[in-house]
Amino acid sequence: MRQRLRDPVTGLLFVLPVLVLFLVFRIFPSLGAAGMSLTNWNIGGEWDFIGADNYARLLDDTNFWLSLRVTLVYVAIYVPLTLLVALGTALLLNQVVFLRGLFRGMLFLPYVTSFVLAGIIWRWIYEFDGLINGLLAKADLGPVAFLEESAVVLPALAVVSVWKGFGYSMLILLAGLKSIPSSYLEAARVDGASAWQRFRRITLPLLKPTIFFVVVIETIGAFQTFDTVYVMTGGGPARATYTLIFGIYEHGFRSFDFGYAATWGMVLFAIVLVVSLVQRRFLDRGNT
Amino acid sequence: MTSIASRRAAGAGEATAARRRRWRGGWPLAALLALLAVLTVSPFVAMFVVALSPAGAPTIPLQWPGSLTLDNITRLLSASGFVTWTVNSLVYAGVSVVIILLTASMAGYAFAKKRFPGRETLLWTMLATMMVPFQATLIPTFVLVNMLEGVDTFWGLIVPTLANAQAVFLMRQFILGLPDELFDAAKVDGASEWRVYWTIVVPLTRPILATLGVFVFLWHWNDFLWPLVVGQSDATRTLTVGLTTLQTEEAQLAVLMSSAAVSVIPCLLVFFLLQRYLVNSIAMTGLK
Repeated sequence: MRQRLRDPVTGLLFVLPVLVLFLVFRIFPSLGAAGMSLTNWNIGGEWDFIGADNYARLLDDTNFWLSLRVTLVYVAIYVPLTLLVALGTALLLNQVVFLRGLFRGMLFLPYVTSFVLAGIIWRWIYEFDGLINGLLAKADLGPVAFLEESAVVLPALAVVSVWKGFGYSMLILLAGLKSIPSSYLEAARVDGASAWQRFRRITLPLLKPTIFFVVVIETIGAFQTFDTVYVMTGGGPARATYTLIFGIYEHGFRSFDFGYAATWGMVLFAIVLVVSLVQRRFLDRGNT
Repeated sequence: MTSIASRRAAGAGEATAARRRRWRGGWPLAALLALLAVLTVSPFVAMFVVALSPAGAPTIPLQWPGSLTLDNITRLLSASGFVTWTVNSLVYAGVSVVIILLTASMAGYAFAKKRFPGRETLLWTMLATMMVPFQATLIPTFVLVNMLEGVDTFWGLIVPTLANAQAVFLMRQFILGLPDELFDAAKVDGASEWRVYWTIVVPLTRPILATLGVFVFLWHWNDFLWPLVVGQSDATRTLTVGLTTLQTEEAQLAVLMSSAAVSVIPCLLVFFLLQRYLVNSIAMTGLK
């Protein structure tokens, strides 16, 4: 009996540090974001309640619609590309036995580094006298201004993020592939199914939940792209890489228009929430 | 005895036969995988080659440098900013690892094994905050830290990043799997709650603590947006942010690449020493 009575206090004491951290630095700012988006909060900390003015301004802001489009185009390029690379390398790693551990390590290596590092290396790789144009010049081609042409800059950035991040999805997909019973594939082989048929009819359907997980994780991540943009293009050329987070950063820390920047943040929150809810919907359907 | 041995030998024979079969048909796949692996690591190789080339001397992509030197790196280490940033990054990552491991394992233990009022509500509220991307609350978090006069201080840099729902949840899941009897027995023996935590929970969760520690280190070492807005002078500027200031100052390519190369060394150490840990924990828990 004494034990039971003592438990509530100790339990609460053990979660207390985490609880305080969450209240002050996660929950309070989350509510604060919603609150600030209804004010014209500025750098001096002065503010007036201005209702939905920031949201009205957002709808009239051509830069906002532009950044939404830039972000969506980026997501539309990045997600399929990273899925393709991650799935391709996972399938290869699942097939090839020769030096598998070494190859897996090499493919996974960029994942442990930072997007800033990736941005710095790749900015040089993309430059006029950089690695790619240097190689192109040897073949009497180019040069291509990867980071100065609106048409190629988003794919160029997507490639950098894919390079940096595909190792994670590759490992998740590889684990998914390993969980497929080899007897299924063996039975199909005995029945004369071709490699493509086995992939299309057995591997792919059984891998679907894993692929779905990867797509959701990568989509949410792609909506939050900032580091590579900051390092490689600064939102340019002509705002061709002006992503949502870059908009938050610029309004917050270049114009110090905190209320309006918080409003941009609410849009990001809404998008991530929708993606998460869609994910839950599909997962629930998959379970029933 | 002999039958087991011979069966084992037969099994091994089958395995090598299967391997040989796969290998014979699979060499184009192995070659493709090798090519992709080499392409993936080549930007790192290029970075190190430029970092080790004598400054100003021709190097890749024009030609291989005639000789390699550590001059760029030693010059870097005698420049004041770079060493400060490195120390700051070590403090940011190191302190965060210690505090997150401590608070998350305490909370994970209480959430898994203690009964206290509001336990489930607290846990799920905390997990719900994972749906709010940090960038969406960037502005209110910054305003809060600014009000508390934490901008450009170490506590302002570190403390807001310590509320980590992933870490708490991972610890809770792991501790849920430990048998209750262990904790009850210790309590019957009269051990205090803190002693139970310190002598039973911590030693038994060592593998998951190690994995989590590696991830927290990498997250913080590679972190960018929060250090960018909070660390406004060299006193608290981290290495990722410092690298971007070098880049905007149009530092020589050799200097930039040496800095980048040095900044990636801790990541490479983690990678070479703990790759198996990282790979397994991603495959099993989806930790990102």
